[in-house]
Amino acid sequence: MAASQERITVYNLADLKNTSDDALPNYLNSIGFTQSHRLTDVRLALGYSAFALAAACFAWDYRFGFDATKHLTAAAVALYALLNGALTLWVLYAERGTVYVGTSRDGAETLRVSTATRKNVPEYLVTVEVTRKGAAPEEIKFARSFTEWFDEAGHFVAAPFQAAFANSVPAIGRADPKKVATAAKGKEGSDGSEEAAAYTPEMLDMLAKANVSVVGSAAEEATGSEAAAKKKGGKRRKA
Amino acid sequence: MLSSLGNPRQAAAQLMNFGLILSSAFMMWKGLSVITDSPSPIVVVLSGSMEPAFQRGDLLLLWNRNLMAETNVGEIVVYNVKGKDIPIVHRIVRKFGTGPDAKLLTKGDNNAADDTELYARGQDYLNRKDIVGSVVGYMPFVGYVTIMLSEHPWLKTVMLGIMGLVVVLQRE
Amino acid sequence: MYSSIVRLQNAFGFFTTVAFVVAAFIAASDLLSPRTPSVGVLKTTNVQVVRGRPHYYSHKKEEYAIIKFSLDADLSSLFTWNTKQLFVYVTAEWPSAGGSGSGQNATNQAVIWDSIITSPSADHLANLGPIAMKKLKRSAQGKSIDPSRGKLSIKNQRPKYQITHPTGKLAEQDNVVLRLHYNVQPWVGILTWNQDVDFWKWKTFKNNLSKKFALPALKKKDEKKAR
Repeated sequence: MAASQERITVYNLADLKNTSDDALPNYLNSIGFTQSHRLTDVRLALGYSAFALAAACFAWDYRFGFDATKHLTAAAVALYALLNGALTLWVLYAERGTVYVGTSRDGAETLRVSTATRKNVPEYLVTVEVTRKGAAPEEIKFARSFTEWFDEAGHFVAAPFQAAFANSVPAIGRADPKKVATAAKGKEGSDGSEEAAAYTPEMLDMLAKANVSVVGSAAEEATGSEAAAKKKGGKRRKA
Repeated sequence: MLSSLGNPRQAAAQLMNFGLILSSAFMMWKGLSVITDSPSPIVVVLSGSMEPAFQRGDLLLLWNRNLMAETNVGEIVVYNVKGKDIPIVHRIVRKFGTGPDAKLLTKGDNNAADDTELYARGQDYLNRKDIVGSVVGYMPFVGYVTIMLSEHPWLKTVMLGIMGLVVVLQRE
Repeated sequence: MYSSIVRLQNAFGFFTTVAFVVAAFIAASDLLSPRTPSVGVLKTTNVQVVRGRPHYYSHKKEEYAIIKFSLDADLSSLFTWNTKQLFVYVTAEWPSAGGSGSGQNATNQAVIWDSIITSPSADHLANLGPIAMKKLKRSAQGKSIDPSRGKLSIKNQRPKYQITHPTGKLAEQDNVVLRLHYNVQPWVGILTWNQDVDFWKWKTFKNNLSKKFALPALKKKDEKKAR
């Protein structure tokens, strides 16, 4: 969620990545992409069926004792191992760090965004797989420093984050042309470091302070949840 | 952190991770139970009756299958007595007969007398079915935590609370 | 590594991992030290059967066998750095009436004598009075392993336990043997007993049976010896 009034610990790489990951679906949905939850749903189904099996095993063990149910328990243990193994494989090979799958408004393009970080390197490694109808998937990879959209205090700033995506991925840029223009104010070119220079630390701080309005203007077609976040932010500022 | 609870799928995923940690621990325990054929394959020593071999807090791994040989004299077994809820770890010192009806007598290495007094009223011997498992593996001291927890029940609540909070609030 | 709690968590996690790995290595090191226990002598010196009550208030009288024995054995190779104690015990074994022969298929088995031999590293845990404890500790001062502890030479030893049978009958029982056993208790790892087959560096425990003997007829007027 782009709850930018919330502060995270900037030394926690997992926090940096999770906050960014959470902000991405909100942004892409707000500019007209339709999210597909298939990957998450399969993961939840696998995980919850494993959990339900364990709960059932616990129940019959508690009710009838070990000796009366040990064959059933043995089968349950084997099945649980299978389900958990399937879950692990699904996360490793099907999800591969995917945080967003969605289709553009006209239905022509499908995006699959997966992100990763390297240990102790504050960089957001993004892989976007764009599939156009009837064409081979095209892969776009880019790496951005988290400092581009987190200020010193740990506030998430939506505008530069969204701009990074809009500039690096044409499919996103077409859906959100304003963001591309913002970045173009800096030097031309798709090089990450040059664009990063477009936002100095002072600017980031200013943006963070004026965050609510930035979010508002950035995503004119804000979804309900983002509008709610905006409202919440406004309240908090008054308090 | 807590904000993620606003998204139902993410909340479900986080809850699932917590549930899977618990259920995996439980199923590993059950798996060990199934392999060793013992309802409680790992026990903590609660008394000093087997000293100096076992002290309070030592961890014992049990085996409850008779693949190669019957449970025999000299083996250290964990057994249950009808009407007592705490299992006892003692050594078999006498065995009369074979098979499931063999009469077994146990004694703690550190005790002067055998266990006849510990058995249920009118019970002079144990049978194989009273035995939860024979001790095959030993790890000193690790189980002391559970003794602490059972002697100070409030510690249990505190630990569970902390663990739950950490898992719910933290991702990965 | 972004807060004290996480650092503490990681440090503790790493500590436990290391501790378990080290423990596993120590346990596995048992396999590398050869075990060559041997028995010189195991024989009975005096065998009696008496009648007595199992406890003071009992009306039923049972027959008890009192088997004195001599023992000579060298179990010193069982003491390694991972040995906590050695539990040595002698059992009497006999077939049931109408049962098959003795030995492996003995259907009655009872410990008549046992002894706990602590490794010097576990001396402080032994259940002894202060004087005996001092003596025990002094006997292995400065040693972490004391192989001399495993050398047993016992003459005409009175049994610690007078054995009986659920039927109350023991007199004139044929085909009784004594068998010497040991149980190695490690500081960490697998508990082991005497073996019937060689296992790499661990040798079979041979000669640990006495000759077959018969329990004598009931000895009259010797009831006070029974418990």
